[in-house]
Amino acid sequence: MKLNIDNLSKTYPNGVQALKNVTLDIPVGMFGLLGPNGAGKSSLMRTIATLQEPDTGSIQLGDLSVLTQKEEVRKVLGYLPQEFGVYPKVSAEDLLDHIAVLKGITKTKERKQLVKALLQKTNLWQHRKKNLGGYSGGMKQRFGIAQALISDPKLIIVDEPTAGLDPAERNRFLNLLSEIGENTVVILSTHIVEDVKELCTNMAIINQGEVLHTGNPLESIQSIEGQIWSKTIEKEELDSYQQQYNVISERLIAGKPEIHVHSETRPDETFESKAADLEDVYFSKIKEFTATEAVA
Amino acid sequence: MLEFIKFELNYRFSRGVTYIYFVLMGAMGFIATATDIVRAGGSGGKVMENAPIVLTGIMVAMMIFGIFIASAVMGVPVLRDFEHKTDSMIFTTPVSKFDYLAGKYLGSFLTLLFIIGGLILGMMLGQALPWPWLDNADRLLPFSFMSFLNPFFIFALPNLFIFGSIFFMGGTLGKRMVVVYAQGIILFMGYLAASTFLSQLDNQQLAAMLDPFGFGALEVTTQYWTVAEQNSQLIPFSGFILSNRLIWMGIGLLSLVWTMVKFNFQMAGNASKKTKKKGTKVARELADQVIDTPAVQQVFGAAAQWAQIKNLSWFYFRWIIKQGPFLMITLAGVLFVFMIAFVGGGQSYDIELYMTSSRAVQNIGIFNLFFIIITVFYTGEIVWKERDVKMNLIYDALPFTNYVSLASKFLGMVLMSIFLLVVLMFTGILLQIIKGYPVIEWGIYITDLFGDTLAVMVLYLILGLFIQALVNHKFVGFGLMFLFYISLAVINELGIEHSMFFFARASLGQYSEMNEYGHYVTPFSWFNVYWFGLAAVMYAVAILLSVRGLDSNFMVRLKIGKGRVNLQAILTIVLSLVVFTGSGAFIYYNTNVLNEYQNSDDVDKDRARYERTLSQFEYLPQPKIIDTYVEVNLYPKKRDFDAKGHYILKNKSAGPISQIHIQEGIDSQLKTVINFGQKASVDTVYSDFKYTIYNLAQPLAAGDSIQMDFEVKFTTVGFRESQSNNDVVYNGTFFNNTQYFPGIGYNSGFELSSDDDRKEQDLEIKERMMETDDPRGIAQSLFGDDADKISFEIVVSTDSSQIAIAPGYLQRKWNEGDRTYYHYKMDTPMVSFYSVVSADYEVITDVWEPSVDSLPDVNLEIYYHKGHDYNTDKMLKGMKEALDYYTANFSPYQFRQLRIMEFPRYRSFAQSYANTVPFSEGIGFIQNIKTDDVDLPFYVTAHEVAHQWWGHQVTEAGVKGNAMLSETLSQYSALMVMKKNFKPEIIKEFLKYELNSYLMGRTFEQKKEMPLYQVEGQGYIHYRKGSLVMYALQDYIGEDSVNAALKRFNEDWAFKEAPYPTSKDLIKYYRAVTPDSLQYIITDMFETITLFENKTTEAEYEEISENEYKVNLKLDVIKYRADSLGSEESIPLKDWIDVGVFTEGSDGKDSLIYLQKHQFTEQENELEITVGTKPTKAGIDPINKLIDRNPKDNVKEVSTSSSSEKEKEV
Repeated sequence: MKLNIDNLSKTYPNGVQALKNVTLDIPVGMFGLLGPNGAGKSSLMRTIATLQEPDTGSIQLGDLSVLTQKEEVRKVLGYLPQEFGVYPKVSAEDLLDHIAVLKGITKTKERKQLVKALLQKTNLWQHRKKNLGGYSGGMKQRFGIAQALISDPKLIIVDEPTAGLDPAERNRFLNLLSEIGENTVVILSTHIVEDVKELCTNMAIINQGEVLHTGNPLESIQSIEGQIWSKTIEKEELDSYQQQYNVISERLIAGKPEIHVHSETRPDETFESKAADLEDVYFSKIKEFTATEAVA
Repeated sequence: MLEFIKFELNYRFSRGVTYIYFVLMGAMGFIATATDIVRAGGSGGKVMENAPIVLTGIMVAMMIFGIFIASAVMGVPVLRDFEHKTDSMIFTTPVSKFDYLAGKYLGSFLTLLFIIGGLILGMMLGQALPWPWLDNADRLLPFSFMSFLNPFFIFALPNLFIFGSIFFMGGTLGKRMVVVYAQGIILFMGYLAASTFLSQLDNQQLAAMLDPFGFGALEVTTQYWTVAEQNSQLIPFSGFILSNRLIWMGIGLLSLVWTMVKFNFQMAGNASKKTKKKGTKVARELADQVIDTPAVQQVFGAAAQWAQIKNLSWFYFRWIIKQGPFLMITLAGVLFVFMIAFVGGGQSYDIELYMTSSRAVQNIGIFNLFFIIITVFYTGEIVWKERDVKMNLIYDALPFTNYVSLASKFLGMVLMSIFLLVVLMFTGILLQIIKGYPVIEWGIYITDLFGDTLAVMVLYLILGLFIQALVNHKFVGFGLMFLFYISLAVINELGIEHSMFFFARASLGQYSEMNEYGHYVTPFSWFNVYWFGLAAVMYAVAILLSVRGLDSNFMVRLKIGKGRVNLQAILTIVLSLVVFTGSGAFIYYNTNVLNEYQNSDDVDKDRARYERTLSQFEYLPQPKIIDTYVEVNLYPKKRDFDAKGHYILKNKSAGPISQIHIQEGIDSQLKTVINFGQKASVDTVYSDFKYTIYNLAQPLAAGDSIQMDFEVKFTTVGFRESQSNNDVVYNGTFFNNTQYFPGIGYNSGFELSSDDDRKEQDLEIKERMMETDDPRGIAQSLFGDDADKISFEIVVSTDSSQIAIAPGYLQRKWNEGDRTYYHYKMDTPMVSFYSVVSADYEVITDVWEPSVDSLPDVNLEIYYHKGHDYNTDKMLKGMKEALDYYTANFSPYQFRQLRIMEFPRYRSFAQSYANTVPFSEGIGFIQNIKTDDVDLPFYVTAHEVAHQWWGHQVTEAGVKGNAMLSETLSQYSALMVMKKNFKPEIIKEFLKYELNSYLMGRTFEQKKEMPLYQVEGQGYIHYRKGSLVMYALQDYIGEDSVNAALKRFNEDWAFKEAPYPTSKDLIKYYRAVTPDSLQYIITDMFETITLFENKTTEAEYEEISENEYKVNLKLDVIKYRADSLGSEESIPLKDWIDVGVFTEGSDGKDSLIYLQKHQFTEQENELEITVGTKPTKAGIDPINKLIDRNPKDNVKEVSTSSSSEKEKEV
């Protein structure tokens, strides 16, 4: 089963165009959707999760049309939204059980076992009786994935799951994701490049509603290998460098900006060659996009 | 702090909802004053539409609506910061708690003030300008700012502060809106409790304090204000009102202080602090292991959906009932039901009814409004539940079928309703057990609570779901529900009165143990089918349009909704529409085709048309009935009857009569056929009015007679919209001849009487009755001009399971099939006023033997509903004692039989016919009379028996003042029988209520208050004032003297035909037995409206010796004369008034040791009285014989004056 998104567009009533002719083919496996905040990732995810109508376009999950056969899609869907709440006065066990019923698992015994397994898997078993209102961010997120995993979904959508988690929790969470079966379409949206690098076999970069790049992370890195140059400069020089070179990113190292420049040739002697990584791919695509935007 | 105020104001004034509230309040104020829709504050009649008290009433009533807005405005400012999660941002900035809270509060309060300003503005606008549709220039006082400012500062502003502060506390500390709603509901209960207490004279003070709105205090303060005072006086900021305001403002202030103390800046931080701790704990457990999830089976068929609905409904149900506010409201409801049951008898003379199941259910019914409120609010909460906790995205992406969610919410709420009703049912049962009436009738609980109440709750619940789904905005939804509720009142005013337009309306009527739910069951059931049909459509539409996911735009939802339409949805909607329209058509067929339906305006128009067309015949001489024979067949199971009989009409006028005018009964289910044989032919038929003029072949010469045959057939077909016929019922039929049998000539009783109604129909204002010396009036009795006395014979047949009774003596009784026939005949002439009664009765019989041997024995019979024998012995005793007293003091009883028959409590009166007294179930049969209670069954019996003398022996003229001869005399007679049989305390208690009823009655006068001798059918005068005045009269001139006068009056006027006696005649008899020095009291009591303001200002005593005490009193006496609107003027005194001294009796109660009449000529008086026992209380008119506006200040505790003297000695 794979997911085909064809020409999807969506403009909100306030005029913001969230999706512009998005076309993506998402195969089985972990798919990373990378983009800055407000790029349209969540709009795309919600549309795939049957929660939002696009203006135009279509989405096909195997034989199912996501936009018209919502109920069928929901049967095989696991969805963890970017921001969600829980009933504060209900325990994890009860709520999971409750959601399991709504997922069609009506046999009490089966459900019990499943809830137990999922809570153990997400390491929440010992907190199963506790009200969700007392859960930490990470625990809540793990609970979120537990509910998304109920009944072996064929399509799992996790929207910015690691935002706001501390490194330990983040690791734990990514480990959980990595265990998801291999014949499942998993879409992971994130603005954290590391997440994608560590987990995904395929990825897309989107910004302002448009798909800027699709491909395999490793191949993507290879495509810019040898074209990334770095240099540590003084703060006041930053402006002139930005005008002069194709600076895709800058960050402070010990108080001084280190810039990365994307260029097929070494800009000058002072730049050092740097091994490309996914982050560079990401930034270079974004940069490319904003540059064309500016010209247009 | 200023920053916070500014921020709050900016926020509020940048939001449309603030202006919506403003406009809403403005519109309500405008509508209230510029239209007739709202009749708050008792305007109408002679009270001007902008009288201060009316404007106050409107403003206070509008403030009840205002608190909905107050809760929305004052509950949220801090809550909002929590919900928007800006709390941590603000709370970490260096602001002081005080600045933050005070800023929030003041900003919100100013906004609220702005909104309520809309109300005031709207009211002023409505009042200040001459709106063309009103045509009420004659109903307005000159515009006065004070009339608005006065209630604004006394009620509106303090209420805003009180409610605003309490809601602010609820929202800030409770952090949830439901807490604020719960507060609102509980405060509202204070108001309801107060209105129950108001009806009890001893609890009025409590009522005045309990009501947070100040309504109770306002009521108590102004309850005796006459029309003139209502038009002129501003509401005083003193007494009860002042105390009420201070108490509640104190509570408001405390709320603010408490909020300040309890509010914690770290409140929001608390939760995260806790979780951080746990978080570190989690980090330590690093035992990640691979666990395989077991294979499970997903099921999605109908069975699965049902399983999901069950699970979800239960989930929602448990959620609601665990909510603090829900529990609080339920508990408050239970307490409230208890309180009403124990404190709020609310019956006349504060007598309790037996706590039967139907009574308990009625008590619970007081809670109905809360059912709707709970339903509406929790509907909003539950529809928004997932979105409120932000779980909606997860939830909406789950693979349940669309309808499952709403169905579960619906069922969860239904479970909640059932839970609430079960709790209340057991409250009712507990109440019955505690009240010592443990006969639990489950059928009544089930029918009333789970048939009627639950139906209403479910209907409102669906309406709530529908509106919430449609508008998709919780508070707008609440607002719309509220407007919807209000609109029900408005469309009524627009002439739309048919129940089919009033959502969820279906009435089971008043429960009568005799007739049970009777004929109300059928229309109730059909109306419910009708409303549930509509509700099912709304429910289906709500499912189609409810939001799932993120698209809230209505057009998008329409598109999505279209996609959701499936066979199931189509079937549901089509079927429901069929049920809705089908049952609607059936109801319409019943109410408007089979039966006649008219809204009240059309009824008025018809009555006006009747008067315009036919009043020309009012003075036409007509023959009178002298003989009636009629055979009546009752069919109780079908609620039908037919009757066949004749009148003998005699020309008693001086000239010949050539035309006879017949007014048939106007009930639409009644068909009448008149037949004069060959002797008359139809001249003109006014079929609209069922009025026919017959031409006599031979004019009827003076003194000649003619026989008129008639047949009437009453057929109950289908059911009526409202005012369903309670005369002819399954068990407990009771009607009289004037309702259904043909009458002679124009019936002025059909005319519109109130000035307002007449003006609306462009009719001239008319006097309510003929002048006392109008010759035409004196020529006819109070029973009308159809007849003087008649000979009477009747055969009534009914179902064999029932007994049929009519005036006269039973001649023969026989059976034909399953029917039983009763032949009654009266052997002396009687008035042309007779009843037909039939029910399944138990009978008690007894005999009254007069003390004079020459008089015949009288057979006493009481026909009562099985089980209703609680008070029959009291009634029996009442009959005997009354017969004794009246025979001894007035004249012998004219019949050999006296019967009381119970009829269902749809009507609450007893009525005296010749030797028969139909007596309502509700006013004597089911009362729980305790030792210290006024014995109502005894009293009512004595009153009705007295009518056998006053009304039947002496029949008065039908002119102004007539009721002083029948009703007032019956009040007096019964009071004397009571006086003979009961302790003085009970008489005092009785008179206390009579005084209250009189003083209250005159404040509601629509036209003009009359002196007793001119009374125009005004019950508060001829009953209430009548009792007071007659009691005082016999106290002043002696019971014997009064009785002597009445005896002479009876001798002169009993069993006479025209001319009939009037009040002026009776007064002559009173004057004849009154000494010259007291002649003035006849003027005061009967011929004028006279009131007193007697007061003891100081009371001291000095102990002379162990059995000699000197009591020094300072007494204030003012005597007022009032005009017809209650403008009072003090008049010179030369009056004899009681002065009394009390001591503490052996039983701990007050006991009179001195009671003498003293003459007063000055307003301020000092008096010294010597008594032999240590006094406790003393004062003027201590047992309230005179009509005193403020009877409670007549007596004062006496303090000892010796203490100060002793000091001097030292």
